[in-house]
Amino acid sequence: MNSSLSDPAFWSRFQFGFTLVYHYLFPQLTMGLAWFLVYWKWRALRTGDEKYNEAVRFWAKVFGVNFAVGVVTGIPMEFQFGTNWAGFSRYAGGVIGQTLAMEGMFAFFLESAFVGALIWGEKRLGQRYHFLAAVGVALGSWLSGFFILVTNAFMQHPIGYRIESDGSLGIDNLRAYLLNPWALIQFVHNQSAALVTGSFVVTAVGALYTLRGLHRTQAALYLRAGTLVGLLASLLVAFPSGDQQAKMIARHQPITLAAMEGKFVGGTRAGVAAIGQPNVAARRLDNPIEVPGALSFLANGTFQSYVHGLEEYPADTWPDNIELLYYSFHLMITLGSIFILLMAYAKFQDWRGRLQSNTWLLWILMLAFPFPYIANTVGWMTAELGRQPWLAYGLFRTRDGYSKVLSSGDTIFTVIGFVGLYFVLGVLFLYLVGRQIARGPAEETVALDLAKDQELVGASRQEHFV
Amino acid sequence: MIAIWYAVVSFMLIAYVILDGRNFGAGMLHWFVARTPEERRQVIAAMGPLWSWHEVWLVGFGGALVAVFPRLMASAFSGYYLALILILWCLILRGVSIEVGGHINDRLWQGFWYFVFVSSNFLLAILFGAAAGNVARGVPLDGDGNFSMPFFTDFGVRGHVGLLDWYTVSVAVFAVDLLAAHGATYLALKTEGPVHDRSTRCAKYLWVAIVPLFVLISVESFFVRPDVPGRAVHNPVCWFGLLVTLISAAMLISGFSTRREMRAFLASNFLIVGLLATGGAAIFPVMLHSTLAPENSLSAYAIAANHTALVVASIWWPIGFALAIAYFIFISRRYVGKVSVKRDNQGFY
Repeated sequence: MNSSLSDPAFWSRFQFGFTLVYHYLFPQLTMGLAWFLVYWKWRALRTGDEKYNEAVRFWAKVFGVNFAVGVVTGIPMEFQFGTNWAGFSRYAGGVIGQTLAMEGMFAFFLESAFVGALIWGEKRLGQRYHFLAAVGVALGSWLSGFFILVTNAFMQHPIGYRIESDGSLGIDNLRAYLLNPWALIQFVHNQSAALVTGSFVVTAVGALYTLRGLHRTQAALYLRAGTLVGLLASLLVAFPSGDQQAKMIARHQPITLAAMEGKFVGGTRAGVAAIGQPNVAARRLDNPIEVPGALSFLANGTFQSYVHGLEEYPADTWPDNIELLYYSFHLMITLGSIFILLMAYAKFQDWRGRLQSNTWLLWILMLAFPFPYIANTVGWMTAELGRQPWLAYGLFRTRDGYSKVLSSGDTIFTVIGFVGLYFVLGVLFLYLVGRQIARGPAEETVALDLAKDQELVGASRQEHFV
Repeated sequence: MIAIWYAVVSFMLIAYVILDGRNFGAGMLHWFVARTPEERRQVIAAMGPLWSWHEVWLVGFGGALVAVFPRLMASAFSGYYLALILILWCLILRGVSIEVGGHINDRLWQGFWYFVFVSSNFLLAILFGAAAGNVARGVPLDGDGNFSMPFFTDFGVRGHVGLLDWYTVSVAVFAVDLLAAHGATYLALKTEGPVHDRSTRCAKYLWVAIVPLFVLISVESFFVRPDVPGRAVHNPVCWFGLLVTLISAAMLISGFSTRREMRAFLASNFLIVGLLATGGAAIFPVMLHSTLAPENSLSAYAIAANHTALVVASIWWPIGFALAIAYFIFISRRYVGKVSVKRDNQGFY
């Protein structure tokens, strides 16, 4: 890629990357939180205990703001396939269009029909249907994740296609395309990671209230459910899904694996660097401290096996940003390992009944919630930077994919617009969710609502007089 | 098969226009029909919990376009770059203003978001209207099926055209009036009290204004695309579309004069369906007309995805569609009748 700052291809790539990373901050919480809502609503129906309903009402409001930002930032993603990546849409639209269209028909209609009812419609729907709405939203959001992951898996590991007479791709076998093994593994990996985000956020709010001595019952509920899901999901991210993902990359994208680890020279008993900076110009890892055999084990299941090095392949098939890929991958596995340890310890303390009184641990849990967001982001950066320089791996290069008709003026203008608009959205989101969390879930909101209602009626009366 | 998929894709776009069009209309008229805070909440509540479901039709349309006509999506979306990105920004602002406006019970906060709400809906109606005008007029497609358009060039309708010219601007004005009338008709159905009375009055004026505007853009269209009417008279769908439009117009008049709001609103929907179906059928099979050379135009037959794609999509699409309608009916049945600010507070607390 020509990374000159007036190259429209660079700005199309920047814009897609920026809007995508930003967008995905929201769906990961949506997908993670949705099943908490389903679970609590189910408990409320089964036990009749009002505390579960309170949890649902509180989290549904947080969910609502998060969902809204997810929706509005999601629509530009689909459209950018056409606006900025016309070359790629022309080439592969006949294949990936299937899942982009299915996502709309099967996932978005489902979640958008029920989300309003889930957040505001408890009175309109009644308890049973309110539960149904929660299930609908959760299913819809996960289906949406599935279709997007199938689309991405095709870019990583294209199968189920045929090459048409004009050189473009067309769908050949829909079943093979939808059941791409890459997609299935990625689905487990990615959805577990979304649950990690959801559970860390739930846990953090529980820790916050516990430390402040507020909303005791609710806080205990959040901590218990949050640490349990957090532990299970963190484990699932690593085994079996992360492990399988690494083996998949070793088999189908050996160049990517070498670049992720900064391995320029191949060898047996290949290690994973704990410390070391890739020096691409000199083709080596500076001051490496490695865990010997770890990469061989990750890639092939034995410590002695051979792992390919970058120098075995032509340089024009190397990922074009090896440094960023290396750091993304390392940050992801480091954070993932810390999540397992932290949640295992927290669950253990909870099981002994000592979590509520362990101030240190509560502080850590409260402050830990941003890290799953970082881990999810660098995980996706590993996947997408590792795919370079291809848009469809081995078939179609990134530099052929962008819209040739766009001028750098057009793209820089829209990048500026997106950055500005998304900054405002971010401030707004943090303010509204922060406010929601500060108000809390407790019973006093009911009294507050009544007071507000009277205040409103008063206000409108005054206006009539004016 | 390709003709059927042309119809399906058009159907999804038309469904989007009638569903979200009412929200554009209600949004544009927000300031005129609702004055007190309570009345304004009524308008938002009338848009209901389903506005994002309405927006999904646009996403579904985009998805179907990539699946079935990938080359059209590539050419059109990159060519309409600036207009489309502006539409995306307006959709973002509109969605945010609906969702967050009600979060804080404060005069300044709500005033600000109402302003964003009204202006983004207004801009969306203009942009979609201009886009429709562009599809009818054609775009400067080159021999490779590419084009790029600035916002405007010399405001002419031949050769190297821009997004805005005298024709597309008048289509945009027509679209604003049509969607405003549609939204007012919807508000008349869903609200009560002063909002209802003002909406009814607005709707009548706006529908009357449609008549001269419709005559104007019809005459203009004959001038801009003299090649279309000759083909269109042989297309039964065009005649059917015109028939639907005429019947709906009669229904609309009877609905308003007998105060049957449901009838008026249904008529308003069918009227838009009829108009768009006529237009869509008239330009078929050319999906994007070239203002530079007719042989550069993109025809549905030349740009469709392969046969397998059309076949598999024909299997899953009806299932998805049936499910979508089922969810819609399920939710709508729980929100029938006039809105109540107390019950459907949409976050106003």
